[in-house]
Amino acid sequence: MSDSPGKPLKVALLGNPNSGKSTVFNQLTGLRQKTGNFPGVTVDMKEGRLRFPSGFDATLIDLPGTYSLYPTSSDEKIVAAVLTNPKDHYYPDVLVYIADVTHLEKHMLLLTQLLDLGIPVLLALNMSDTAAEMGIKVNIERLAGQFHIPVVPISGRTGENIQKLLHELERVLKNGQPFGLGETAFYPLRDLEKQVVDDVRKKLGIENAYQALLLAHHHSWLPFLQKHERETLETIVRNKEFHSLRAQVDETLERYDRFTPIVRQTIQQAGNAPDTPTDRIDAVLTHRVGGPLIFFGVMLLVFMAIFFGYDTTGGWVENTTGALIDGLAASLNESWFSSLLTKGVLPGLQGVLVFVPQIALLFLLITILEEVGYMARAVFIFDKTMRRFGMNGRSIVALIGGGACAVPAIMGARTISNWKERLITVMVTPFISCSARIPVYLVLIPVALPTSSWWTKALIFGGMYFFGLSAALAAAYVFKKILRTSDPSFLALELPEYRMPHWKNVWLTVWEKVKAFIAGAGKIIFLISIALWILGNTGPDGALLEAENKVRAEAAPTTSKDELDDRVAAKKLEASYAGMLGKSIEPAIRPLGYDWKIGIALLSSFAAREVFNGTMYTIYSLESVGAQEEEEAADQSPFERYGRLRRQMTNDRFENGDRIYTFATGISLLIFYALAMQCMSTLAVVRRETGSWKWPVLQFLFMSGLAYLIAWLAYTLLPKI
Amino acid sequence: MQRRYRTISELKINESALAIAVTDPALAGKLTAMGVLPGTRIELVRPAPFGNAYYIKVDGVRLALREEEAACILLEV
Repeated sequence: MSDSPGKPLKVALLGNPNSGKSTVFNQLTGLRQKTGNFPGVTVDMKEGRLRFPSGFDATLIDLPGTYSLYPTSSDEKIVAAVLTNPKDHYYPDVLVYIADVTHLEKHMLLLTQLLDLGIPVLLALNMSDTAAEMGIKVNIERLAGQFHIPVVPISGRTGENIQKLLHELERVLKNGQPFGLGETAFYPLRDLEKQVVDDVRKKLGIENAYQALLLAHHHSWLPFLQKHERETLETIVRNKEFHSLRAQVDETLERYDRFTPIVRQTIQQAGNAPDTPTDRIDAVLTHRVGGPLIFFGVMLLVFMAIFFGYDTTGGWVENTTGALIDGLAASLNESWFSSLLTKGVLPGLQGVLVFVPQIALLFLLITILEEVGYMARAVFIFDKTMRRFGMNGRSIVALIGGGACAVPAIMGARTISNWKERLITVMVTPFISCSARIPVYLVLIPVALPTSSWWTKALIFGGMYFFGLSAALAAAYVFKKILRTSDPSFLALELPEYRMPHWKNVWLTVWEKVKAFIAGAGKIIFLISIALWILGNTGPDGALLEAENKVRAEAAPTTSKDELDDRVAAKKLEASYAGMLGKSIEPAIRPLGYDWKIGIALLSSFAAREVFNGTMYTIYSLESVGAQEEEEAADQSPFERYGRLRRQMTNDRFENGDRIYTFATGISLLIFYALAMQCMSTLAVVRRETGSWKWPVLQFLFMSGLAYLIAWLAYTLLPKI
Repeated sequence: MQRRYRTISELKINESALAIAVTDPALAGKLTAMGVLPGTRIELVRPAPFGNAYYIKVDGVRLALREEEAACILLEV
C-alpha cells in the first residue's frame, strides 16, 4: 500500500478522548514505544513498533484524541493538520479507529469524516467486554457492510481480540486493495460547499473533495500551507461568502442524521443502563463542600508521599551510589581522569539518580489520579478558580504535574484551546516546586534554621510548595491583566466513568516519563559536571600551583594532612577559572547575601537546579558522600542528611569574618531556588510549545528577576543570625 | 410573551429536558461534536462547587459545561 517499499508502513491510532485509545496503543506496542523526535516535526507524538505474527513490521502512531476534524485545541489541531496533508511525516497508510461501543453513536462522527477523507480505516469496537455485560449486541457484519470497512470487536483492558485486530490489520496492509466508501462520500456536500470545493480542487490541485473542504475551513492556521496557497484559499472563502462555523455545525448535524439510523439498526441495547458506582462516587467527590475538601486532602497525601518517600528512597539511593563512587575512587589510580570521573561526572549523575524514585512516585500518583478519572473532576471543580487567574480548569492538571517536573506538565497544556489561558499556564507552571528542588530545600532549610525542631523544618518545607503556588497564581493574575486574546475559551469536558487503573497503562506512562526525565536531565548534568570540573581544575598560567605552594608554606607544621589537603583544594578552587567566574559575579549577588562560591553554584544551577548539591560538594572539595557520614545519618530525619556539607557551609565566612550562612542567607537562597528559572529543559519545551523564543526569554527574565528581588528583600529584612 | 425554551440553569437537580437547539455557532461546533444535539435528553446532575459550571448527563455521557456553554443549549419547556 505504501508507494516506496523501502519505507516502513505507517498505521495511526485515532479515536475520541476516553475511547480507551492509549490502552489499545499499549496493548499493541508494549515497551516497543517512544516519543518520536524527528527533525522538521514540530510536535512529538508517541509511536511504537507493530510486530505482526508473520514477522513483518510497521510503525504505529498514537494521534491525540479528538471528537472531530474541526479542532478547538492545539492537540486536536495536530490531528487535522496530519490527516489533511498526505505529505506529512505522520500521514498513515491505514488508520485504526477506536470507538467505545457502549456509546457508539457519539463515536461515529469522526469515523465518517475519516471515511470521507479517503483514508483506509479499520474500525475497532473497544470495550466490547463491558458492552456484553451491559447486554449490548452489535451486528458486526452489518456495520462492516454499511461502511465497507473491516470491523473488529476488542477490549483494550483485557487484551481480548488484540491478536485478531493485528491479523486483520496485516491482511489489510498486505492486500493493498482500497476499501471504504470510495468515490461516494458519506456526507453529501451542500451547494455552497460544492462550489468552494470545486474551486479549491481546481486551484490547488487536490483530488479528495472533503480534504479540499477542510483546507477551506482551516486555511488560516494549517501549518503546511504555502503563503500563496493560504491566500488562494482565503480569496475563495471570501468570494463565496463561506461561513466556516455555521457550515461546521450543519455538517455535523447532517452526519448525525445519516449515521444514527445505521447505528440503531446494528446495535441492540438491552434497555436500561447498568447501575454504575460513578454517580454515587461523584455525589461525594464533586460535592459542593466535600469535593474541594477531598481534593485538598488528596493533594496533602501526595505531598506527604513526596516528603516521606524522599526520606527513605532518596537516602537509600544516595548511600548506595555514594558507596559505589567511593569504592571506585579508592580502586582507581590518582589521575586527572579518575578525578574527573569520581569528583565531577559521577557525583553529578548521582544528583539526578537521588530523586529518580521521587519523580517516579510522583508520576505514579498523578497517572493513577488521571487513569481513574479523578483529574477531570478536579478540572470541573476548579475551572472558575483558575479562570479568575486567567487560566482554564485544565491548568490544574499542569500545576499538579509541575510538582513532579514542569516539562511534561507544560506539554500537557496542549489540551487548553484558548491561547491566552494556555500561554499563562505554560508561563507559570515552573513556579510550582518540582522534584529537582527537593534536595536543594533539604540542604538549605537546616542551614537557615539549624536549631529548630524537625516539625518546624517540615512546615517550612511545606511552606515552600505553598510559596511556589502563590507565586504561580500571582504571576498568572498579572499576565491575565496584560495579555489579550479573541480565542474562544472552553470547558466542555467529558467526565469519564470511574474505573480501576489499568496497571499496564500506569507502568508504561511512568516508565516513559521517568526515562525522558533521566535522558534529558542526565545529558545536561553530565555536560555541566564536566565543564565545572574543567573550570575548577584549570586556571591562568601557574595560578593553581602558586596558590597551593602559598598554603603549604604558610601552614603550621601541626596541621594534619587531611586539613591541609582541604585547604589546598579550597585555595586552588579560588584561583581557578571557576573561582574567577564566581568572583566576577560576586558584586551582583552580594546584596542577596551570597559569596563567590554560591555564585558558582548559581551559575551552574541555571542549566538545571538539581546540580546545586553536586556543585556545593565539589566546591567544598568533599568526596561525593562520605559513607560513614551517611550511615550515621541513615536513621535520622531527612534534614540530618548532607551533614558534612552543611557543617562546611555553616562554618564558612566572608572575608570580613562574618558568617556566610546566616538565617537571612538561607531564606534568601531558598526563595531564590523556589522562584528562579533554572532549567534549560523547561525553556526548550516552552520554546517548542509557544513557537517562539520570545516567551521562554521573557519567562527566564521575569522569574529570575522576581527571584532576585524577593531574595534581596528577604536578606535585607531578616536578621543575620 | 412567554419564552418557548428554558436553559440548563433553570433545571432543578436531577431534572431533565429535551434539547431543541444549540445556538452560538462558536460553541455549537464543539458541543454538537461531543453529542449535545437537538433531540437529546439533558439532565442536570449538579452545579460546580464554586459555581459557574454544570455537571450534566447527555444520553448517559457525563459532561462538565461552563455557564456560557450551557446557556446556548435551548431546552423544551
